[in-house]
Amino acid sequence: MKKTVLSLFSSLKLTIGLLIIIALASVLGTIIPQQYEGGESFRHLSPGLIRAFKSLQLVDMYHSVWFVILMGLLSLNLIVCSLNRFPTSWRLFRKIPSLDRGKPFENLSPDNVLVIERKRNEVIERVENLLRRRYKRVRRRETASTTSFYGEKGAYSHFGVYIIHASILIVIAGAIIGSLFGFDAFVNIPEGESTNVVSLRRQKGIKELDFTVRCDKFSIAYYENGMPKEYRSNLSFLKNNKAIYQGPLLVNHPVTFNGIRFYQASYGSVPGGQAYITIQKGDGQETTVTVKLGDSFYLREKDAKATIGRIEENLMSMGPAVLLNIQSSDGNMRLWVFKEIEKIRKGIPELLKKVPKFDPGLFKPYYFKLNKIENKYYTGLQLSHDPGVSSVAGGSFLIIPGLIITFFSSHRRLWVRLDEQEGKTRVLVSATSNRDPVGLKREIERLLKLLKKAEVVV
Amino acid sequence: MIINTTILSWVTFVYFASSIFYIFRMVTGKEFWGPLGSFVALAGLIAQTLALILRWVESYKMGIGHAPLSNLYESLIFFAWTIVLLYLIIEWRIKSRNLGAFVIPFAFLAMAYASFSPHVSSRIQPLIPALQSNWLISHVVTCFFGYAAFTIACGLGLMYLLKGLGEEQNSRPFLRYLPDREILDELSYQSVVIGFIFLTLGIITGSVWAYSAWGSYWSWDPKETWSLITWLIYAAMLHSRFIRGWRGKRMAIMSIIGFASVLFTYFGVNYLPGLHSYF
Repeated sequence: MKKTVLSLFSSLKLTIGLLIIIALASVLGTIIPQQYEGGESFRHLSPGLIRAFKSLQLVDMYHSVWFVILMGLLSLNLIVCSLNRFPTSWRLFRKIPSLDRGKPFENLSPDNVLVIERKRNEVIERVENLLRRRYKRVRRRETASTTSFYGEKGAYSHFGVYIIHASILIVIAGAIIGSLFGFDAFVNIPEGESTNVVSLRRQKGIKELDFTVRCDKFSIAYYENGMPKEYRSNLSFLKNNKAIYQGPLLVNHPVTFNGIRFYQASYGSVPGGQAYITIQKGDGQETTVTVKLGDSFYLREKDAKATIGRIEENLMSMGPAVLLNIQSSDGNMRLWVFKEIEKIRKGIPELLKKVPKFDPGLFKPYYFKLNKIENKYYTGLQLSHDPGVSSVAGGSFLIIPGLIITFFSSHRRLWVRLDEQEGKTRVLVSATSNRDPVGLKREIERLLKLLKKAEVVV
Repeated sequence: MIINTTILSWVTFVYFASSIFYIFRMVTGKEFWGPLGSFVALAGLIAQTLALILRWVESYKMGIGHAPLSNLYESLIFFAWTIVLLYLIIEWRIKSRNLGAFVIPFAFLAMAYASFSPHVSSRIQPLIPALQSNWLISHVVTCFFGYAAFTIACGLGLMYLLKGLGEEQNSRPFLRYLPDREILDELSYQSVVIGFIFLTLGIITGSVWAYSAWGSYWSWDPKETWSLITWLIYAAMLHSRFIRGWRGKRMAIMSIIGFASVLFTYFGVNYLPGLHSYF
C-alpha cells in the first residue's frame, strides 16, 4: 500500500496531469467572475448559476479548498519526485566510473581517433596536463600496452532541477505563510481626518491598528491631455497623537510603517467641498456666495431659501455641478447649476428645454452661475502585511540559477585511451553527456585539435 | 503623422517583402531569394530600431519621456522587433535560412496589426501613475523576448508538421528543402527553453512590480493567471521531454498549443476584466 501511494506520487503522469488540471482550473477562474472583483460582473448571470458557482467555490476559486488541495498535491508530487530521484543524481555526481571500461570505445567513430607520431611515454604527461587543465577529477591508469584517462566537467548539472523544484516549494511556502499570518485591508480616509480602523479584504471584518493614519491632503495632477499624471496622499502616522512619520504616498511608491505597507489604491469625493456661486438678480446686480454642502442662502425678491443638495465634480460627464433645493411660497424646486453651462448649451441646444431643471434661469428672476467648486477628497489606501514575501522573493531569485544550470550546463564525461603501435601513439577519445549532444561533439573536435598539438612540441 | 510612425508603417511592408522572399526561396528552392530575405529583414530591423529610438526621443521632447513600451501599439511594435532580432541571431548561428518563411510573417502580422488596425492608437501617450515604474522596461522586455522565442518555437513546430506531411505523401517537392526533423525538433526545444527562461523572468519582474504598485505580488489578475497557464503548459512540455523522452510530433503540437496560450495571454486577456487593461 505504502509503496503504491509513493509510486503514484513519484510518477510523471501525475505531475503532467496536475500541471494540466491546474492550468484548466486557472482558465475557469479567469472566465467566471471572482468575488473580489466586485458585483459588477455578476449582474448578467442568472441567480441559479450564481448559486451553483458559489456552492462549487468557483467565485473565489483560487482560494477554494479544492484549488488549495490541487496545489498541495503538486507540492507533494514535487517533493516525492525530487526525493526519489535525488540518490541517482547524487551517485552520478559522486561516482567515478572505472577507467579501463571498454564500452565507451566500442563502435567509436573514426573521427574520434587520432594518431600521434611519437611514442606513448613521450606524450602521456602532455596529455595528462592538457586534460587536467580542462577537466575535473582526472584519473589515469597504466597497463603494459595502454594508458587510460578519465575526466569530467559540469557534474553539478544534475542538481539544477532540484534547485528549481526547491525554489518553487520556497515560493509556495512563502505564499502559505502570507495567507496564514498576513492580511490585506483597505480604508478610505477623507482629507483632514484620521483613523486606526481598517477593513480586512479576505477575512472580512475589521482590524484595529496600533497607530493612527491621517490623510492631510489628497491631490491629483493631470497631463495636458487630461490623463491623470499623479495621485498623491500626504499621510501622517501617529502614535499617542504624536506624528512619528509624515510623507507622501504615490502609486508605485508604497510607504511602510510598523511592518504594514500602505499603497495608493483609489480616491473619491466626500461632502465638505466648497462651491462658489454667483447670483444674478432681476435688476442685473450680482452677489457671490461661498457655500458648503447643506448650506443655504436667502433669495429676498422671492422670499425663498436655496439649500445646497449636492456638489458634484463631474455630473453626467458635463463637468462640475451643484444641486440647489429651492423652497419658496410657490413650492419646492430642484435645480442643477453647471459650471460649463455655455458649452453644454452649444453642444446640446435642446437640452434645457427637455430638462428644465438644468436651466440656470429657471427660478425667475434669478440666474445662477457656478464659478468653481473645490472638492474634498478621500484617499483609498490598500494595506498589506505579508511575512511570506521574503520567502517568495528568495524562491524567485533561486529559480534563475536553477534554470540556467538545468538548461545550459551538462555533465560531460570523457575517456581517453592511448595505445602504441609501431612507435606511434593512437589516441582514442570517447565522451558522454547527459544533455546537449551538439555541444559535446564540438568539444571533442576542439580537444582532438589540442591533442594533435602534443605531437609537435617537445 | 509623426516621423517614427511613418517609418514603422513602412517597416511593415519591408517585413512583408522579407516574408515573401523567404517563402519564394522555400517554394522554388532557389538560394538566390534567401540572402535577399535576410538582407531585407535586417534593413527592416535597423529602420525599426531607429524608429523606436526616435519615438523614445520624441516622447522626451513632448515632456512625457518614457520608453516606447507603454501601450498596445508600442508593445506590438516591440514584439515584432524581438521576433526579427531573435530570428536573425538564430539564422546567423545555425547558418540556415529555412526558418525565415515560418517566422518573419509573424513579425509582419504584428506590425500590420499595430499600424493598420483602427483600434490601435499610434499616439505617444503619457504614462498613467500605475505605469510610472522602473520595472516597466525590464518587465516588458523579458516578457516579449519570451513571447518571441515561443513564436519561433511555434514556427518550427509548424515546419515539423509540414515536413512530416511531405514525408508521408512524398508529394510536395519544396518540403525537401526543409531541414531534417531531428534538427527542427532540437531547435524548437532550444527556443522553448529560451522562452521559458524569459517568461519566468517576466513573471518574476511582473510580481516585483505588482508588489510595489498593487500591494500584492500575485493577485490572480487574468493576465497573471494566463501567464501562469502558459508557464505550466511549457513546464509540462519540458518535463515530458526530459523524463519521458517525448520528441517530434507531440512536441511540435505542444509548441503550437503553447503559442496559442501566449497569444491569449497577450490579446485575449483584454476581453476579461482585470488590472492589465492598458496593454
